[in-house]
Amino acid sequence: MKIKNSENYIKWQKSFERETKIDLSEASSETDEGIKIKPVYTKADIENLSFVDNDSLPGQLPYTRGPKASMYTNRPWTIRQYAGFSTAEESNEFYKKNLKSGQKGLSVAFDLPTHRGYDSDDDLVMGDVGKAGVAIDTVEDMKILFNDIPLDEMSVSMTMNGAVLPVLSSFVVAGEEQNVNKNLLSGTIQNDILKEFMVRNTYIYPPDPSMKIVADIIEFTSKEMPKFNSISISGYHMQEAGADNVLELAYTLADGMEYVRAALSKGLDIDDFAPRLSFFFAIGTDFFMEIAKLRAARTLWYKIMKDFGAKDERSMILRTHCQTSGVSLTEKDPYNNIIRTSYEALSAILGGTQSLHTNSFDEAIALPTDESARIARNTQLILQNETGVTNTIDPLAGSYFIESLTDELSKKAWEIIEEIESLGGMTKAVKAGVPKLKIEESATKKQAKVDSGSRVVVGVNKFKNPKEPKVDVRVIDNNRVREDQIKKINDIKASRDQKAVDESLAKLVAAAKEDSNLLACSIDAIKNRATVGEVSKALEQVYGRHFATSLSVSGVYGKHFEGNKDYMNVAKKVNTFEEENGRRPRVLIVKMGQDGHDRGAKIVATSFADMGFDVDMGPLFQSPKDVAKDAIENDVHAIGVSTLAAGHKTLVPELMKSLKKIDPNSKIVVFVGGVIPEQDYDFLYENNISAIFGPGSNIIESAETVIDLISDKIHKNN
Amino acid sequence: MQLVEKIVKGERAAIAKAITLVESSRENDKKESRRLISELLNKPGKSIRIGFSGPPGVGKSTFIESFGRYLVEKNYKLGILAIDPSSQITGGSILGDKTRMIEISKNPNTFIRSTPSRGSLGGISLGTREASIILDAAGYDFIFIETVGVGQSETMATNLVDIFSLIVGPGSGDELQGIKKGITEYADIFIVNKNDGDLKSEASKTASDYKSAISYYKKSSDVADKEVLLVSAIEQTGMEKVIETIQNIVSQNKKNKNFDERRAKQFTYWIEEEVREIIQFSIQNKIKEDGSISKFSQRVLDGEIQMFDAIEAITQNLQNK
Repeated sequence: MKIKNSENYIKWQKSFERETKIDLSEASSETDEGIKIKPVYTKADIENLSFVDNDSLPGQLPYTRGPKASMYTNRPWTIRQYAGFSTAEESNEFYKKNLKSGQKGLSVAFDLPTHRGYDSDDDLVMGDVGKAGVAIDTVEDMKILFNDIPLDEMSVSMTMNGAVLPVLSSFVVAGEEQNVNKNLLSGTIQNDILKEFMVRNTYIYPPDPSMKIVADIIEFTSKEMPKFNSISISGYHMQEAGADNVLELAYTLADGMEYVRAALSKGLDIDDFAPRLSFFFAIGTDFFMEIAKLRAARTLWYKIMKDFGAKDERSMILRTHCQTSGVSLTEKDPYNNIIRTSYEALSAILGGTQSLHTNSFDEAIALPTDESARIARNTQLILQNETGVTNTIDPLAGSYFIESLTDELSKKAWEIIEEIESLGGMTKAVKAGVPKLKIEESATKKQAKVDSGSRVVVGVNKFKNPKEPKVDVRVIDNNRVREDQIKKINDIKASRDQKAVDESLAKLVAAAKEDSNLLACSIDAIKNRATVGEVSKALEQVYGRHFATSLSVSGVYGKHFEGNKDYMNVAKKVNTFEEENGRRPRVLIVKMGQDGHDRGAKIVATSFADMGFDVDMGPLFQSPKDVAKDAIENDVHAIGVSTLAAGHKTLVPELMKSLKKIDPNSKIVVFVGGVIPEQDYDFLYENNISAIFGPGSNIIESAETVIDLISDKIHKNN
Repeated sequence: MQLVEKIVKGERAAIAKAITLVESSRENDKKESRRLISELLNKPGKSIRIGFSGPPGVGKSTFIESFGRYLVEKNYKLGILAIDPSSQITGGSILGDKTRMIEISKNPNTFIRSTPSRGSLGGISLGTREASIILDAAGYDFIFIETVGVGQSETMATNLVDIFSLIVGPGSGDELQGIKKGITEYADIFIVNKNDGDLKSEASKTASDYKSAISYYKKSSDVADKEVLLVSAIEQTGMEKVIETIQNIVSQNKKNKNFDERRAKQFTYWIEEEVREIIQFSIQNKIKEDGSISKFSQRVLDGEIQMFDAIEAITQNLQNK
């Protein structure tokens, strides 16, 4: 108050209003989170903060300024690049190369069949083997993955949630067979199943047994693997799916609370496991907001853990890994992505992350090449070695803006955490589908802002490059990978002691029925050369496989376009279409294979419906055959296939075949959207795909293209 | 007609196209649709048509998935017509039924069709009755008709189905007072879902609430008794009892002629509805051509003539045309 009435402030305000011709009270901008960002912050903004303590120092409660007293001045953050390439052999090569070039930790990406607990020879996963990561079917694959990499020295992070039991078991056995005892293994397993139900969809079992598995792993590792982080509580995928920063922050911490409760219910003492809980956040393009988010996360976690009764300081400190945002990368003018990633990396560093992955600029299109991976890694090496950012801890502390923003984010997130708690915690909230729907709503809003041009994305909706550069991307021969994996599985099945396998799997099933710890039994089965798929299926007998029902938002997209000419134009075309054809244009939007990233599909479905289409939604994980049946029974005009995991080259031709099989005269228009490298376009067109929409496509334009394609096809037939 | 043969043979694409035809709002399609249906009525199948309704959140789709799975495992052919609401603002719709019928939608013995309600009154979409005739001719043993909410219960029960069932959740006994009048009267079966886990005792209590509510209905030898059943869609329990009850009701009603009478009544109602629609259509056209409404209303506004005199004059005018 005092400052606002001060002579200086009034003078500034006058100058501001004269320069901008805008009244100061109107000059704030609003973020996705609904936070008002003012043109100027003053000392008044950091008085009476609710969560932030202006006098605290790094390594001191509430840890806003960092988990450690010395932070990067002692040791910089860990450069931890996430990678996995189709086969264990290739990935191993890649890891060794990276370690030589200055990378300190490993982070393994698995392929989708592994995530979902299927072996590579399962018919359901035909199009997915070796795509988006490495295929692990048995412990032998895991051993190849870490060949010549000493597991007692190297910290290994594994992104695995659904099939945590067989995969973590394979890691433990691979260590053992390298003569490394499990108590020396260090690293992290993601093991964060709640967010899978919200966004990423690589779950296997229903929420309750899934939570039991999480708790089993926390219990086992807290006793037997003291250097291993039992869980990485992840907001990353929420932001990737379109959550704003408040949602990401709040849901991640609420997930953390639920895991703490699950572990406590095992009778563990909080200080025995809490120090090994780690976090994982996304860093997007909103520069200051991301910095504030990491500071707020530490501040809130301290409060949460103190309320849980933690005594050990290490239990109350939030340590986090960060990754630059994949969804902020664009297919258009892709070299811009290097610049985006650099700013995002700087945000993460100023926010005080413990380790960081920087994306390669071509990741909007494919897995990175050696060259693009090198640029991504060098982004961090330059920050560490050339810019001086490691010399001062939490350099933005005391900034009126940053401190005020940190506090405001904390307050907003806390409200949402309390809302989830009032529903009975995150497991219940997830079952009710609340967070999923909120995230989808936020995603749809963001998309509408880009499509309507109210948010600028350079090279996409403004400042477009008239000469799009051509980029070489990595090509994967998915059939070869699959054949190799199947051969390996068959060899192992032929040489293993089948009786021992059967017995250890039976023990696992019994343990699941008795509710005793599953990880120990799973390690035995894996040691006997049971496959990842066999272990998962054994538990499926007891728990069943989870199929999520999905709710959809509506009206959110359309709201951003009231009076928009292009939008009205499409809506008008839809109405004319109905008059001429006796029904609205009807489109089936599907995902095929094991790719569970359904943000794009959901946004397209809700926005097409808002433009007046009748939109059929297929369930996740459909086979091309199922999709064809669905499409024909509902007599849709078009099918839109959303693909983000590189399965399109196998699955799309399979779909076209299935359609012809049921209806040789099928006139259904098929279009594809998502992550598709340009090299594949011709292949898809040859397979009679009518249109391809890459990342960053404008949905209104896409809808118009689709309705025109449908009309053309109808006219041609008449 | 080739389409008829293909439908009777059970060709999936032909059935689908035929449903599109009977749902179409285009005048030409309507004529063709009437021809198609009159041919199909000569080739009746043996389907039992069952209506499912119930308030949101009771696990209706999960029940249908679970019960449907039970039926197709017993080798029955199952057709499902699911009606989803269209947006009143944009006219578009999201048809998400298949996301909740994952297993049965893959099964070759099912045919699942979602239909947007397109703002039709009562929420039963235009063409649902015709679609069920198509599925009947195509040889489906059971036809499920599912609607959102309970608002359409009366229309569905009296117009469309042989058996009408209401799916409810545990604890809904309290609401029973409010909805008793309408729905309990039309429902033949009350299915109390979620009879599992912590909700078990609540579910049985709800079932007995319903039982006592329906005990007020006079037992009669003309109509099969209403039944209350406990099921768990998640655990797939109680399904056998559901099919048993359905078959019992059907055979009792067939014996006492109620089954045929109900279908006959629905038939009469259908004819009435068609006649009404045709008349309405021709009247609308007449009104459009005639133009006397705007003429007379101007005269009313100008104070030349009384409103009710104007109405009488307009009606006279139209009737004489």
